[in-house]
Amino acid sequence: LGAGQSIQKTYDLTRYLEHQLRTLAGTYLNYLGPPFNEPDFNPPRLARAERLPSATVDLDLWRGLTDNARLAANYRAYSRLLKYLRGLDSQVGTVELRHRLGHFCSSLQGLVLSIAGVMSSLGYPLPAGPAGPPPSSGTPAAPNDFLKKMDDFWLLKELQTWLWRSAKDFNRLKKKVPPAVVTLRIEARGF
Amino acid sequence: GLVQSCGHIIPESPVLALGSNFTALCILNESCLDFGNIYASQIIWKMKNKVVPKEQYREINITVSSVTFNDTSSLASPLTCNVLADGQIEQNIYGISVTVGLPPEKPENLSCIVYQLSNLRYPMNCTWNPGRHTFLDTHFRLKYRWSRESFPDCIPKSVNNSCTISDVQFFVNLEVWVEAANALGKAESDRLVFDPIEIVKPLPPHNLSVNSGILPTVLKLSWENRISAAVMKLKFNIRYRISSDTNWMQVPPEDTASPRTSFSIQGLRPYTEYVFSIRCMKEDGVGFWSDWSEEKVGVTTED
Repeated sequence: LGAGQSIQKTYDLTRYLEHQLRTLAGTYLNYLGPPFNEPDFNPPRLARAERLPSATVDLDLWRGLTDNARLAANYRAYSRLLKYLRGLDSQVGTVELRHRLGHFCSSLQGLVLSIAGVMSSLGYPLPAGPAGPPPSSGTPAAPNDFLKKMDDFWLLKELQTWLWRSAKDFNRLKKKVPPAVVTLRIEARGF
Repeated sequence: GLVQSCGHIIPESPVLALGSNFTALCILNESCLDFGNIYASQIIWKMKNKVVPKEQYREINITVSSVTFNDTSSLASPLTCNVLADGQIEQNIYGISVTVGLPPEKPENLSCIVYQLSNLRYPMNCTWNPGRHTFLDTHFRLKYRWSRESFPDCIPKSVNNSCTISDVQFFVNLEVWVEAANALGKAESDRLVFDPIEIVKPLPPHNLSVNSGILPTVLKLSWENRISAAVMKLKFNIRYRISSDTNWMQVPPEDTASPRTSFSIQGLRPYTEYVFSIRCMKEDGVGFWSDWSEEKVGVTTED
């Protein structure tokens, strides 16, 4: 795939993930039950939620990043979010919800690979691994059910925000890279 | 009896290619030589109890006899090694079953369609031409992967020319191919690389409704699409006929070549009952048309 085509597909996939998450998050929060499924539920961000790659960023800073840095940040974020999501996936009670979570996880895995594809088509090196320690190490399991649900709530919330912004990132990047041109960033390879 | 496992045949249970040649060896145990006074020269080869012509035998040494078949097509099971002992009493020493067949051919004409089942379920069915009959137990597997990730094989159930992957992902290119394998070999189809979004057969629109308006020559058709715009934008074909007539007329495709959930059909006959049906496909024409929707009746107003 050329860079332009690769970016277009990644953009389409991000929009598709947003679409899936819209209905999936609602169903999952209903599964968690009150207060998590109440529209105006807006809890403070607990320290536990810090391990998640925060989607809240300074937009000017974010826009000021190079394409390479921004793609790498997306790649690392979704790699880590996927790990947490897969932890969610196996415990969920209903078959239909498990199926949809499984499908969403697979789509998100596709997004991680697509971002990697975009980076290589633009000549950028892949980040060595997700920033920060692997999620499980040093993070105590939620001491109680409420805090476990709170973790899940924040995971879905962060995902929605990441996907919302990533769609804009790829839309902007799409316009920068003409469809037909295969861009080879020679300086990125240290020539 | 006199002869107890006095020898064996190699190869044990061969699977042989049709039309090839084949040689088997019957090897007598040393113990039988002293005890039973039996030698390779006394061996009689039989196929399904029919004696194999002696010209096909060869005495390798006093304990080993071989038999050769130039064309395995004539081979049948069992192939047995027997001796005449103790004054013309024929005794069976050993027998093998022989299986004759063909290696699998390269599976051809691999093609796949994603059939939408609901707004969240998109199984992909792939079909192929399995090639000639091999006369052997031949296993087919549909294999598929992303550029940096493989998935479990799809194993056909009770057929050898199709498999359905229960849930595919869109917007990531998928590499798909078929592998056929039996005891005589393995063959692979050509590999297809595509984005599953490009081979979708969507569900037809539903919940059609027809409303007459002010003008007696116009009816407005409305419907619900069953695939989200985030998955794909749609274009439509709308056909209609007078209830009592069998000939369908169609709205010019270019008029319905963009996403929508209604369309006003003009140029109709006043005070007449019409039947409408609609189908859809991906807006850019890549993929497959849905089936036609259920039909819906509407009546134009009086002039």
